[in-house]
Amino acid sequence: MVSKKHLHIESSGQLCIYCGACVGVCPLNCVYLDETRITFDEKVCTRCEICVKACPVGAIEIG
Amino acid sequence: MENLKTDVLVVGAGPAGSMAAKWAAKSGAKVLLIEKRQEIGSPVRCGEGISKSWLPEVGITPSSKWINVEVEGARIYAPNEKCLEINEKNAGNEVGYVVERDGFDKALAIDAANAGTDVLLKTAATAIRRENGRIVGVKAKRSGEAFDIDATVTIGADGFESQIGRWAGLPTNLALRDMDSCLQYRMTNVDCDVRYCDFYLGKVTPGGYVWVFPKAEGLANVGIGVQLSKIKGMAEARQYLDDWISKHPAYSKGKRIDIVGGGVSISAPMKTTSTDGFLLVGDAARMIDPLTGGGIANGCIAGKICGEYAARAVALGTPTKEFFQGYEKDWRARLEEKLYRNWLAKEKLCSLSDETFNKVVDALQGVKLEKLTVHNILKAVRDKYPEVTKEFAEFL
Repeated sequence: MVSKKHLHIESSGQLCIYCGACVGVCPLNCVYLDETRITFDEKVCTRCEICVKACPVGAIEIG
Repeated sequence: MENLKTDVLVVGAGPAGSMAAKWAAKSGAKVLLIEKRQEIGSPVRCGEGISKSWLPEVGITPSSKWINVEVEGARIYAPNEKCLEINEKNAGNEVGYVVERDGFDKALAIDAANAGTDVLLKTAATAIRRENGRIVGVKAKRSGEAFDIDATVTIGADGFESQIGRWAGLPTNLALRDMDSCLQYRMTNVDCDVRYCDFYLGKVTPGGYVWVFPKAEGLANVGIGVQLSKIKGMAEARQYLDDWISKHPAYSKGKRIDIVGGGVSISAPMKTTSTDGFLLVGDAARMIDPLTGGGIANGCIAGKICGEYAARAVALGTPTKEFFQGYEKDWRARLEEKLYRNWLAKEKLCSLSDETFNKVVDALQGVKLEKLTVHNILKAVRDKYPEVTKEFAEFL
């Protein structure tokens, strides 16, 4: 099994503004916004990186 | 919390949701409107510029409670910063108000409540419930407590990041070129002109535009939308916006008092927005105007139609896919042609070079256009730059 790249969503508020752009663009519906916390489903995520591009403030990193 | 039962359940108390709730209630249905946030309309995620011609159609009375300024027109700036003025005389319905969006959303929710809608805050839909293939409500969570809501008709109005549309199996996925990443600062101490909403085009804002919407003298929303297919790395929306601001002294000296982000769909209309027991409306149904990125007018117009159909389905006992073809037909009759036309125009604009933008706006300098239509614009361009009109052959 090929291991997936590391994905990190900074949602402590340092960068994240909880705008939900990442949630809306995810083609697999695996990013969730819960008031002031953003999480994603590690198993479903394919690391397509669309959320990385959509995040207007650069709070999502893959690598 | 005990399970709840209603005729019409509306998920999401934005403009489309409140409008659907209001008109369903006015049409005689028992309506429940749920909102996951603790405060309707807040935090604001919007540029706050709206047109005004459609307000009477959906029963919204303009109010000083949510209007910041009434603008005289819009100015479209080419990359060389020459501008084209769009005013009430040549564009009629496209000019309007800069609004206080949280106040606007609250006013619409109050209208819905006054029409008889029940409202539950801090209540999120967590899954859709089905019986014999038909959607019969949602699983919900309120302040940590899980419960079921039974509904004859469920309306999904949960915005751009709609989960419920996907759970219902509707095709809400978007291509990269049909999405914008947006960022906006509310800035004070800026030199804005309260008579105009300003739009800046070109490669400084790939596949989108920079907007300056005045909220008051010296106070404006300054934002950017960038097409996702044109973004390569991280935080590009912010970089493009910061670059743009730093090159415009009227704004670079300003102070940021708020930061707003979000995604916007700029797609062609969805093929299906309803199924058995379920209707999708507003940004969740990709009803945003793909040229302007504006979603409020279309959301409210379709919201009214949606609410009326939901109530009719309850009264007739026919919340079926077949019955909801009427909803599809009616909202499309009102909005679809313009959505397609503006999607094509958006596709075209995204492909233009700065040089072409400059020529188009230059060709219109000093030209008196009776009506600002694509056809009239291209005729003026043809007179001055005949070679440029070749790029627009499909519009002539």
